[in-house]
Amino acid sequence: MGLVKTFPGRGGLLGHEPVRALRGVDFSIPAGGAVSFIGESGCGKTTLGKILTGLESYDGGTLAIDGQDVRRLPAGRRRAAFRRIQMVHQDPYAALNPTRTVAQTLSDPLRMRARELSRDQSWIDGRSEDLLRMVGLDPGFVLPRYPHMLSGGQRQRLVIARALTVDPDMLVADEAVSMIDVSLRLGILGLLRELRRELGIALLFITHDVATARYIGQDGDLYVIYRGRVVEHGPTDVVIERPVHPYTQCLLSAIPVMRGLEDAGPERVMPVSDEMAEETPCLFAPRCPFATERCRTEVPPLSHSGGTPQEHACFYPVPRRVVPVDRPVTQVGAGPRG
Amino acid sequence: MATAETGVQAASPGTGEAAVRVRDLTVVYATARGELPAVAHVDLDLPAGQITGIVGESGSGKSTLALALLNAVQRPGRILSGSVQVAGVGDVVTLGRRALRQARGGKIGYVFQASQSSLNPLKTVGKQLLDLGRSHDVADLRQLIREAKGLAEEMGLDPVRALGSYQHQLSGGMRQRVGIIFALVLNAHVLVLDEPTTALDMLSQALVLGIVRRVHRERGLTTVIITHDIGVVAELADRLAVMYAGRIVEEGRTEEVLASPLHPYTAGLIAAIPRIVGDPNRSRPLSGRPPDLTTVPPRGCPFRERCPVAMDVCEVEDPALVEVPGGRRVACHARGRGVAVR
Repeated sequence: MGLVKTFPGRGGLLGHEPVRALRGVDFSIPAGGAVSFIGESGCGKTTLGKILTGLESYDGGTLAIDGQDVRRLPAGRRRAAFRRIQMVHQDPYAALNPTRTVAQTLSDPLRMRARELSRDQSWIDGRSEDLLRMVGLDPGFVLPRYPHMLSGGQRQRLVIARALTVDPDMLVADEAVSMIDVSLRLGILGLLRELRRELGIALLFITHDVATARYIGQDGDLYVIYRGRVVEHGPTDVVIERPVHPYTQCLLSAIPVMRGLEDAGPERVMPVSDEMAEETPCLFAPRCPFATERCRTEVPPLSHSGGTPQEHACFYPVPRRVVPVDRPVTQVGAGPRG
Repeated sequence: MATAETGVQAASPGTGEAAVRVRDLTVVYATARGELPAVAHVDLDLPAGQITGIVGESGSGKSTLALALLNAVQRPGRILSGSVQVAGVGDVVTLGRRALRQARGGKIGYVFQASQSSLNPLKTVGKQLLDLGRSHDVADLRQLIREAKGLAEEMGLDPVRALGSYQHQLSGGMRQRVGIIFALVLNAHVLVLDEPTTALDMLSQALVLGIVRRVHRERGLTTVIITHDIGVVAELADRLAVMYAGRIVEEGRTEEVLASPLHPYTAGLIAAIPRIVGDPNRSRPLSGRPPDLTTVPPRGCPFRERCPVAMDVCEVEDPALVEVPGGRRVACHARGRGVAVR
């Protein structure tokens, strides 16, 4: 029985219908592993991240951290369990207090940690500098500065450093690079990979961009989520190279082709409609180019039906080649001569 | 020499008929240190009927350039010198206020960033279309609404619902499409889109870009897409212009620029994109950060501090944007030394 979360309706276009953010989502994240949740905005992936970090409650299902159902833990131990999972938000501007310097931003949580470990102020100072260096910031430069004096990329690095103050076992990165210039994203993504490799910190990477998820966790699992339900789940490269759920195929088809370097996948598909339509048993049926009557009368269960290596929730699992294909290396055009 | 001006004279972009011809355009912003250039001596042709992608990081001057195409740079900025010749309009830099207002929307349509909202939250889309028509002295407002409904339908929107909606009732992708209706309803033939997909997820982005491609073709537009993400224009644009520190540092046909970038900055931008195929570790971050108005070095190549192939000459001389065989242009002292991405 997976996680369930329903929000009461809040008006707007969707009316006062309750919003079913999660409809029974099962997943597990191995210690030190990398797992990605992929989906459009509103699919429930952000709610999942919040539940995992204790920022949001859930209405059904169980959440176990280190094998222990957090609802059965006494309050103190529950807080401690959630503290081991830290969140890196999308917006590093909003995540930082503008009136606190970098030194203050780090020393607050470190002071708590110092008490637990019976350390003194010099430990806090040293640890601040170590953490900043670990995330690629120059302590001498950033410590006296306020968040607004840093670039977007530097701020996101600071948010990660602050998350590390409590020695977490896992980071939840929710669209952690989407507000940063494309040119600087890879630096942050590389940092997250490094933290996993060097410190064994597990990563839950939440994004709409499959290519960044692959960069972070090529060796991990990918969950594709549609309207609160997992529609496909398997090893990252299996799902990318041989996706069987039409929704996954649409998401992957949406990746722009780098002309000159790549050719379009030969079987690209697009949704037949972009509107969130009425709920049908298969939630994707109204937008699916391959839907049949069965999809509108019966819920496709998550299974390996058709003998696929990945789990999927589709009655007609057909692998399609939708991602761009690398072109062989050739020199095009004039070449580097002036 | 050591100035961009020499470079500009050496360059002669020539790719068929241009719908927009930008010459020696310099746009400055007033700062505590005096007026500093956000766009410096830019020469650029937007070939008629083609899609041009203008790519650059934050602060590269790409959005300022886009605004200058409509002579719409806001204070504390101003166009210092140069010209923007738009076919059927003339030089928008010297146009009078009234003629300029007619040109904006009438000849050149502009769609603002997806993340910002250019719509009035208190009026329906239809009411704002009527306002637009009145400000442009459109005699037949019914015809204007018919035209808008036609555009809505072309873009897969329910016309009645779209025109009856308030901004908050529209999703990000829908707002972009409504933005395109406003840009094109007065029959503009040049369409400028500033970061059209920034706040959108992948599927909505693909949808909006697909619509841009279709409308572009069906209406025979000349289209400009401003973006920080090469991926957004990698598939769609016919040509790419790469901006850095207010200058165009490379320009050419999209597949050629992507397959064999001539400028190390272009190469760095391409390499920094995580790819969906091949070894993910071939993607590499671009080091350093882009300069802003106040940190652009007063002389030499503005990219040299982040450049893997910088030489002594780059410290003192700003490289000229020069034409190389194959209708491409590049501004780099190291060209000919073989700057390879892959």
